[in-house]
Amino acid sequence: MEQYRLEKVAKVFSRQQIALAGIDLSVRPGEKIAFIGPSGAGKTTLFRLLNLTLRPSSGRLWLDGDDVEKLHGKRLRETRRKIGTVYQQHNLVPRLKVIHNVLSGRLGRWSTAGSLFSLLRPLDVESAHQALKQVGIEEKIFTRTDELSGGQQQRVAIARVLIQNPEIVLADEPVSSVDPSLATAIVRLLIEISRDMHKTLLVNLHSVDLALEFFPRVIGIKNGAAVFDLTPEKITDGLLEDLYSGHFPQNGEDDITDENPSPPVLQ
Amino acid sequence: MKTPARLSFNNSEKSVFPYLFGLLFVLTLADSWRRVGVDLLVFFERQGRENIVKFLGGMFPPDLSSGFLALMVGPTLETIQISVMGTLIAIALGFPIGILATRNFSVGGILNEADTAGAPARFALRFSIYCFARGLLSFFRAIPEFVWAFMFVRAVGLGPFPGVLAIGVAYGGMLGKVYSEIFEAVNPRPLEALQSTGANKLQIFFYGWLPQVFPNFISYTLYRWECAVRASAILGLVGAGGLGQQIEISMRMFNFNEILTLLIVLFLMVAAVDYISAKVRAIL
Ligand SMILES: Nc1ncnc2c1ncn2[C@@H]1O[C@H](COP(=O)(O)OP(=O)(O)O)[C@@H](O)[C@H]1O
Ligand SMILES: [Mg+2]
Repeated sequence: MEQYRLEKVAKVFSRQQIALAGIDLSVRPGEKIAFIGPSGAGKTTLFRLLNLTLRPSSGRLWLDGDDVEKLHGKRLRETRRKIGTVYQQHNLVPRLKVIHNVLSGRLGRWSTAGSLFSLLRPLDVESAHQALKQVGIEEKIFTRTDELSGGQQQRVAIARVLIQNPEIVLADEPVSSVDPSLATAIVRLLIEISRDMHKTLLVNLHSVDLALEFFPRVIGIKNGAAVFDLTPEKITDGLLEDLYSGHFPQNGEDDITDENPSPPVLQ
Repeated sequence: MKTPARLSFNNSEKSVFPYLFGLLFVLTLADSWRRVGVDLLVFFERQGRENIVKFLGGMFPPDLSSGFLALMVGPTLETIQISVMGTLIAIALGFPIGILATRNFSVGGILNEADTAGAPARFALRFSIYCFARGLLSFFRAIPEFVWAFMFVRAVGLGPFPGVLAIGVAYGGMLGKVYSEIFEAVNPRPLEALQSTGANKLQIFFYGWLPQVFPNFISYTLYRWECAVRASAILGLVGAGGLGQQIEISMRMFNFNEILTLLIVLFLMVAAVDYISAKVRAIL
């Protein structure tokens, strides 16, 4: 059975901002897919739909046969548990120690009381240590998270996903803030994790080279629509040129998905 | 999420609103001046001058007799106890209600988007809880602690207990309101990440929300405690224990030199509390 099925999924933000204009997609369990495309194309929005943070404005989205429209409350939380996300800006809690950020991957399985207790006395130091070791920064376990470099924080975010042990891993531009050699290492790490643990892996990549080198299926997104969905050897320079035409890549790439770009609300 | 009752002023259009508000403000100010009877000349008139001299003159020297000072120890401690207990009750009320009164916790924003989409009943429930929490906080705050104290004295009798309740309720309202404002200003990205692991809202609150605002949270709570010390000193005027009771007695007996002593004690107390909270803030 398919893991994800999307039929004409569109997402329109308030004030007529069309982020996704109707995407069809189907993902089988264990697949490894890279998404590429210019900034503003809708890749982040797509991932936030896939990890059940946002709801489609129209169209339908199934996850393991469940229509996500129907998921609310506890069922929604239990379904989210199955999906681990690595975000572009790491999205860690800066003032917490690394160990708590890592262990927060367990929250979906912990009781509320237990997780509060863990803030005082970490419940599972052993697993956190293990996960951090896998990403190569186990010595930082008790450091405050905001004292780490960008690359180290990205590793903490990956360790959090390891601890969560989801069936699906989504990574939204996981390497856009690290230098190229580290970027390759991180992508390789994600691939290894998903291969060894039989996880579905979907990655947004800023770097076309990494996408073509490591992924058996590459999807090009532009203006909120999928323009191709191919194996890497079928992706020609012409296709790539079309994909990025009319777009002038800037350094550091986008950071336009700020939560509420609307004007402040007077209460 | 759509926010109900969104007020927005479009700057690009020429609007009469700023002028209207300006005019209204000036009129309000002028009228207030007249009505409140601001009359600075009072200080220069004979009668006024004599009153002031009598009061100030009567204060010196302060009554530092050991008998009076010994009498002050109990009420001073009681005042501090009222402020501490009152502030604790205020936190116990203001913290949970303040969380519910936080818009992006209760109804809007990324933590409610998927959960309330296509579920109007859920949305309505959350919106009502949010409105109820805000309403409750407004109600607590709208009534001055002095009036609360007055009512609690009627309800539970004289002594420190009504003072504690008065501070607890009135300050609970203030703390809750400001807590909710502090919480609303949080960076939502880490919260989104926590939510996507399957965490529930309370877990998200304690892992992602509180840590981000912790220094602010403590700082504001300490500030409110400082205010509570001053407030508990005067609540005694309506019979709610503490130094205020003594102030009231001395006033009634025209023992102005005792009043000065009381003011000195009050000053020292507030300075000490100030010092303690500055120390605590420095640790954060
Ligand atoms: N929360 C939001 N509110 C309004 N518009 C948004 C929001 N998030 C994204 N957008 C808009 O949707 C479009 C797609 O954004 P995004 O999904 O972040 O693209 P990408 O990740 O491919 O760069 C952009 O035009 C962006 O401005
Ligand atoms: Mg993006």
